[in-house]
Amino acid sequence: MSLPIILATLRQRFTSPMRIVILITVIWMSMIPVILSPGSGFSILGDCYFLALTIAAGMIGQDVSSGTLQLVFARPVTRAQYVFSKWAAVTLGTWCVIALECVLAGIVMLVRGAPVPWGGAALYLANNALLALGTAAVMALFSALVPGLGDLGLLFLAFLSSQVIGGIGSFRNWRLAMRAAEELQRSLKPEIELWSLTHGHPIPWSMVVAYFSTVALCLAIAILLMNRKELSYASSGV
Amino acid sequence: MDGIRIEGLTKTFRAGQVRALDGVTLEIAPGEVFGIIGPNGAGKTTLLGCLLGFLRPDAGHISVDGHEPDDLVVRSMSGYLPERLTLDRWMTGRDFLAYHHALARLSAPARASEVATSLARVGLEPEAATRPIRRYSRGMLQRLGLAQALLGQPRYVFLDEPASGVDPAGVVLFRRLLGEVKSRGATVVLNSHQLDQVERVCDRVAFVKQGRVEAMETLHAGATMARVLRIRCPADGIVVAREVLERAAVRAGAELREVAPPLARFAVADDSGAARLVRELVAAGVPLAEVTPEEGRLERLFLEDEARGGPA
Repeated sequence: MSLPIILATLRQRFTSPMRIVILITVIWMSMIPVILSPGSGFSILGDCYFLALTIAAGMIGQDVSSGTLQLVFARPVTRAQYVFSKWAAVTLGTWCVIALECVLAGIVMLVRGAPVPWGGAALYLANNALLALGTAAVMALFSALVPGLGDLGLLFLAFLSSQVIGGIGSFRNWRLAMRAAEELQRSLKPEIELWSLTHGHPIPWSMVVAYFSTVALCLAIAILLMNRKELSYASSGV
Repeated sequence: MDGIRIEGLTKTFRAGQVRALDGVTLEIAPGEVFGIIGPNGAGKTTLLGCLLGFLRPDAGHISVDGHEPDDLVVRSMSGYLPERLTLDRWMTGRDFLAYHHALARLSAPARASEVATSLARVGLEPEAATRPIRRYSRGMLQRLGLAQALLGQPRYVFLDEPASGVDPAGVVLFRRLLGEVKSRGATVVLNSHQLDQVERVCDRVAFVKQGRVEAMETLHAGATMARVLRIRCPADGIVVAREVLERAAVRAGAELREVAPPLARFAVADDSGAARLVRELVAAGVPLAEVTPEEGRLERLFLEDEARGGPA
């Protein structure tokens, strides 16, 4: 990994006015249920998927479309290092926002006189940390495929496809189609549901394997795509 | 040091429909300032893209100092200024240079001072260093890009249209910096449309057309260099007969190219040929007010090519 790329990506993500507005809005919206029902614990905050998408959108594609990638790859940085660094930066950035959200929720609970469930906070953080890691990997793959913010469009199309396949499957009672839609959705939003531990249910090993294989596969394909990418405006014109 | 070797380089786009480079073979010696000129779409930027490892050739081979062009060893000793300069616009000039200083794995403790020195070298004011790049003018961007390319004193410098959009002072600065780069023994590959600049700074120039090296010109090789001399007689003096000029040229081993009183142009083989010509002209009683080597050889190369069939 390359520390300068991680730091530059974090700065880039957190100095974008649009992203900041969206993040503040999302955090504020997530605080409303905590304010209204402070004793409901941290699970009421929901997951960090939208936050992760906000931070991840265009993580590689924006560098491709702006043309800054050429200067980076003229430096002693491998393309794999670049992809890993982008992934790490988005994950770290999302973790920071989740931590901030968690701290704010804890403060609201204390102010409203409700007990702060520390165990729940730890579980919330761990659950969302894994979701952030997985979402960043999926977005790295989509962002390596299309320039600009096209990764969001691809993600939307993939979700839409899964809904359509699932809908057709349930209408026709095609179990295979329903299963395929379910797997596609899991791949688009890779997570390990740690919340089930609170109900005494163990986490199935298949979920853990599926999660890590999705993350590894997304990163591997993203690196492969970047390695095959030709970096010159000449490649699209001469 | 091996320099740069390019052998039979071929690169096509659009599934082979567009042949951008067609069997290019070149050798660029260590410490040489090498120019690439040619009409638009000739394949100059594609050649640079292959040299930097951004593009994968369909055939042929490139080695930089004995390494593949995308080898990290090569990248750690290279600097690159792209033609379409798109920098990270949200950064300040200083941040941008510090970022590339870190990416180049240069000494962290020396970063602040080296960045400040680099900014000063390209004539960017301290105030500009703290300004976001999105507020830079085209010329300032070009200067910052050049500072970035020269960070860490690279042994190989690849410049794609470095003086485009730069004011005259910037052009002079660019020439001075290139002189400094050359004096420390770095190899420079320069792609430019500004032929006068290329002519002033390059040791050799490749004229690329339709993906092929059509001609190679040696510009700064001193005594071995063929050139055109232009003489001017005093405007109020006597008109010298063409025959007198022709006889002097023959005696000096030169060739009379053109007579348009009070000017005349001669082709000479080298510096001693030029000296012989001047001696013969004086001996023939030709009143010389001025003798100058003619600039614009590359321009002539272009014009001659155009006369042969026009640019690609």
